[in-house]
Amino acid sequence: MIIEVKNLKKEYGKVKAVRGVSFTVEEGEVFGILGPNGAGKTTTLEMMEGLREVGSGSINIDGVDVCKNPDDVKEIIGVQLQSSAFFEHLSLTELLKVFRDLYSTRRDPHELLKEVGLSKKAKAQVKELSGGQKQRFSIAAALVNDPTVLFLDEPTTGLDPQARRNLWELVQQIKAKGKTIILTTHYMDEAELLCDRIAIMDNGKIIALDTPQNLIDALLKRGFKKKMPTNKANLEDVFIDLTGKAIRD
Amino acid sequence: METKHPHHQKRWLAYKTLTVASVKMYFRNRTAVFFTLFIPVMFILIFGAFNSTKQSSFKLTIVNNSSTELAGQFTKALEDNKNVFDASQNNLDNAKDLLDKGKTDLIIVVPTEFGSFDPATQKLKNAEIITYYNKGQPQAGQAASLVIGQIVSGFNNQITRTPVIFSVNSQGISTHNLTYLDYLVPGILALSIMQLGIFSIAFAFVSFKSTGALRRLFVTPTHPISFIFGQSVARFLIAFLQIGLLLGLSILVFKVHVVGSILNMFILAFLGIIVFLMFGFAVAGWAKDENQAAPIANLITFPMLFLSGTFIPRDNLPVWLQKVTGILPLTYLADAMRSVSTLGYSLWQVRMDILGLLIWGVVMFVVTIKVFKWE
Repeated sequence: MIIEVKNLKKEYGKVKAVRGVSFTVEEGEVFGILGPNGAGKTTTLEMMEGLREVGSGSINIDGVDVCKNPDDVKEIIGVQLQSSAFFEHLSLTELLKVFRDLYSTRRDPHELLKEVGLSKKAKAQVKELSGGQKQRFSIAAALVNDPTVLFLDEPTTGLDPQARRNLWELVQQIKAKGKTIILTTHYMDEAELLCDRIAIMDNGKIIALDTPQNLIDALLKRGFKKKMPTNKANLEDVFIDLTGKAIRD
Repeated sequence: METKHPHHQKRWLAYKTLTVASVKMYFRNRTAVFFTLFIPVMFILIFGAFNSTKQSSFKLTIVNNSSTELAGQFTKALEDNKNVFDASQNNLDNAKDLLDKGKTDLIIVVPTEFGSFDPATQKLKNAEIITYYNKGQPQAGQAASLVIGQIVSGFNNQITRTPVIFSVNSQGISTHNLTYLDYLVPGILALSIMQLGIFSIAFAFVSFKSTGALRRLFVTPTHPISFIFGQSVARFLIAFLQIGLLLGLSILVFKVHVVGSILNMFILAFLGIIVFLMFGFAVAGWAKDENQAAPIANLITFPMLFLSGTFIPRDNLPVWLQKVTGILPLTYLADAMRSVSTLGYSLWQVRMDILGLLIWGVVMFVVTIKVFKWE
């Protein structure tokens, strides 16, 4: 068990954003947090990342108490933010060097760029990258400190099907290296494919937590039937079949 | 490949890295560099070209209506001061015509009773010297009036001691050999410092906020104050570069006289940057995005641009406005830099201006702390 969240709460004035959230994450797991907008996902994540003060409850990441030592937890986690810009006028290598110098553990920028398939863009600036490349670079920047836990916040939002598949592969590669990954997404196919377990949040609470297959089985047990007969392929399969899997950068 | 480093070393490295990154970002931003370095140079080029014709000295026309010996000596004293004035005699009508055409800068009318003896009081008659200058060129007129005033007071002093024999002491006026550019350049230096401090920080920093670049720093263990430090150092560097460039150009190309110590100019510039950076961070810290920062930054700088005596001496303003504008931070900085540059004052002699700047620094520090929001 690498992450333990116990009875986590957060209020903004009268608004109860997070109302008692508890879960644990095992080492090497990809853990998905799903939920409609305003469900409390972001607040929960931000408290775990040491970005927001914990209202009440406790968070422990790899033995570090986040409430007491938010800066220590930042040393051992990597965060890919939903919409974060990087400094202008600096190359990808320079940016990775800047970020790496802010940590005690520092990885080699060239190696990181190679891992995310951006070696050729080492001297380019972020504004010259495509959407998929930007996301991959953002993940590289989250790995500069060789983190134990990696947070990915909607990493494929706005990407074309090819770039999404490419990013899924990258996430699976990172998982294969033994990293624990916390992932949020609005795409259920993505969650189903990548996540070992999923927590579904609504109104500041976790309303379901299990493996994707168990969640599906539980729904079917309750007598659920799809209204439309399922095709053996969907439109995305058609799209990929016609345009190929090759990434377009 | 990865390396581990002890904690204190990490903190130092974070400051260094963010400083180097800030400097790189600034100097690679061609638009910003252009505006900070070349706009003030343009100012000086334009005003330099305007004023190049009367670089040497003021043209002075004397209208001598008195036939006394004293009047003759006074007139001669003015004419002999060739390093200050280009003086000639004429009658009043011709002199006014010359003034209209811009062929003379100042007319001095020596009244009939000047130097004549009043038998009733056993003293020299009280004589008022009248000067005319073109209202369109108040700087020229004022500078000249100042010099004339000094000569006249020198005369008066000597008259009270020995009624007849005197010589004009030109020592006191040699430092006042002031051209408009001599007056203008220290003001432009101060103005550039203000613009750099307020605009470059307000806009750059607020864009780090609105784009999320600053937020990216929050997820690292570094305290963001190290980034504020780095950003500030970048501004100090560019400010010194700017001051060096402007001073060099002014002295070498436009023959601007910098009487005081260049080092003191830089020390004042340093102080000025601190104060105006504080304004910049207050604006950037308060504003959410560029749309909020722009009007506030303009609201702060615009009045100072015109009311701090950069282009036109504040003496021309109404008295109440002189008092109000006297406490503006740009006024303190421009006055101090001008006193050092044109009068050769020491830092001690401009201590009141320095005090004013320090007070502004403290006030703005408190304001910045109060209004600053990281997000």
